[in-house]
Amino acid sequence: MDTFLQIVANGLMLGGLFAIVAVGLTLIFGIVKVINFAHGEFLMVGMYLTFLLSTGLDVHPYLTAAAVAPALFVLGALTQRLLIQPLMSARDEHVQIFATVGLSTALMNLALLVFGADIANTPAHGVRSQVMLGEVRILTGQLWVFGAAILLVIALQLFMKKTRTGRAIRATAQNRAAARLMGINDKFIYVLTFGLGAACVGLGSSLIAPLYPTSPTIGTYFVLIAFVCVVLGGLGSIPGAFFGALVIGLVDALSGFYIGSDLREAVVFTIFLLILILKPSGLFGTRMTQSHVSP
Amino acid sequence: MTLKTLLTATAVSALLAGAAQADVKFGALYPFSGGLALLGEESFRGVELAVEEINAAGGIQGEQIELVRGDAVDNNQAIGEARRLISREGVKAILGTYSSSRSIAASQVAELSGIPYFELGAVADEVTGRNLQYLFRTNPTAETMGIMSIDMILDEIAPGLGVEASDLVIGVIHEDSAYGTSVAGHQEEYGAEKGLNIVTVQGYPSSTVDMSSLVLDLKDRGVNIVLQTSYQNDSVLFLNQSAEAGFEPDAIIGGGGGYSLTATEEAVGELMEGVLDVDFTQYAVNTEFTPGLEAFLAAYQDKYGEDPRSGHSLNNYVGAMAVLEGIDAGEGFEPDQIVAAVKAIDIPSGETAAGYGVHFGEQNQNDRAMMMGMQWQGGKLVTVYPRDAAVAEFQIGD
Repeated sequence: MDTFLQIVANGLMLGGLFAIVAVGLTLIFGIVKVINFAHGEFLMVGMYLTFLLSTGLDVHPYLTAAAVAPALFVLGALTQRLLIQPLMSARDEHVQIFATVGLSTALMNLALLVFGADIANTPAHGVRSQVMLGEVRILTGQLWVFGAAILLVIALQLFMKKTRTGRAIRATAQNRAAARLMGINDKFIYVLTFGLGAACVGLGSSLIAPLYPTSPTIGTYFVLIAFVCVVLGGLGSIPGAFFGALVIGLVDALSGFYIGSDLREAVVFTIFLLILILKPSGLFGTRMTQSHVSP
Repeated sequence: MTLKTLLTATAVSALLAGAAQADVKFGALYPFSGGLALLGEESFRGVELAVEEINAAGGIQGEQIELVRGDAVDNNQAIGEARRLISREGVKAILGTYSSSRSIAASQVAELSGIPYFELGAVADEVTGRNLQYLFRTNPTAETMGIMSIDMILDEIAPGLGVEASDLVIGVIHEDSAYGTSVAGHQEEYGAEKGLNIVTVQGYPSSTVDMSSLVLDLKDRGVNIVLQTSYQNDSVLFLNQSAEAGFEPDAIIGGGGGYSLTATEEAVGELMEGVLDVDFTQYAVNTEFTPGLEAFLAAYQDKYGEDPRSGHSLNNYVGAMAVLEGIDAGEGFEPDQIVAAVKAIDIPSGETAAGYGVHFGEQNQNDRAMMMGMQWQGGKLVTVYPRDAAVAEFQIGD
């Protein structure tokens, strides 16, 4: 029983980790309607920035989020402005997906060039210490990630529902042409949203860096899993991505123990396929336009 | 900077001058660009040093050697470059290749052309497993690694813990590419042959971000010896998550990759203390068992102005020296004359700079090739097994 509780706890913590990566991905997809395959590399860039800042200035890695998240916002905004926006009028929307795949490869190889294949270790500053909840061991860093993921989801929901900008963002997502007629600058909204999505993963990277060794390829695994979470929760749904991530974290941990570590990915991706076949809109998904081209 | 440039220029012109008088050409096929370039280049340096040493001592069969480089950046180019070396450059043999997949591709070309191919660094079983006539391998393999880790349990760990080897509960975990899978396969097979109790063999993708379930599974099964064949990320993850789950096996034996690198040790700190590792011969080794190692290090520093970045250069140097000296003792450079010459090579263990002997046995694999057992002690990776090569005591138990 203790082992089972520990596995469940591990699964939830892993889910929190996936969630903080998935939230930005689903935000960008829901509004800009672009699947950002470079999202994992944004995470990787954020983790290297956290590593450089926290070792260079000798500060707690969490404090670097104040610089890393804005830096990632700029990276995301530039990606939208310089890479995606010129392709938005392309006849085939899939071109943008290939563009983000290209960006992903470019960023990964750039990191290989700059940092080499060796891992970089962000100092833990105590976040690797354990807390015991009964018989269950959890790292304080994992709790922070989990808490931050919840706060992020709530904050984004409030922003989207209560603020003028948030309403403009949702309007653009619902119908780009109508939003433009209402005087909304849709290009600016897209740039802003892409930046926000990247800033979310920037915040996540400062929290994740002290827990995991940073390497140029760290993003590839995260982005694949985050993508599954987003599909499970319903593409574009922010709370959906969070709960999708928790489910995937639990499935990953339980199957890793009860079925075998070599098959856990098979289990996760089987679920992914089943959702696509049985409920393509996901757990929280509603029928929505999945294109930035107005109907 | 200017001094360095001047030195480089001198070295290059010396090399060109040497090339001008060259009489016999050998190909050096390595990945010199692309993702594997760092260790490909490191491997090549070993061959380069061997050739310089031999040329300085009068060459082979009285003729100077010219090394012609071929860049095996991927499998296709490995094939193309092997063709170029053979038909355009007219090399008498090819030395290489660091990467197993490049080696398998390029040696096929050499075999068809009837040109001897000497593999000095690739570890996959298939390299020699294809029964090629002109392919010889000097370095230890995935099988050597698997067997060595089991031997360490039998010879040192079980006696050190004061238990029968068959009473130990052993878990084998590995990253699931060809490398980890083949090492783990040999561990399982050879372990079973020796009557060891291997309770689980589990693969995982090396890019994984969570190994906590695997750790709990090992803990649940009461595993006290873990064998892990891994890269860097997964080594760090396993050691960290084991500590976090309170899983404390009596011994962890890593296989190459991540466990030999200082960056891994820096990542996990004191968790690395006492961890064992099986890999190619490194530099903290008993030099009585590895005669020529100090001279190699001195020549290396002299030529490249830095310490070797890994053990690859040493192993390639040892392989190249053995092969070239073997050819020197033979007659002529025709393929069959070279094959006859290298088949006569008979260097006992403890007489090369890497410690292992050279003798081509079944499938033209060097049947004296071996790896070393090492242990992290006080933040340093020191050789502890076999005892002849050890520089420190094998530490096990309390």
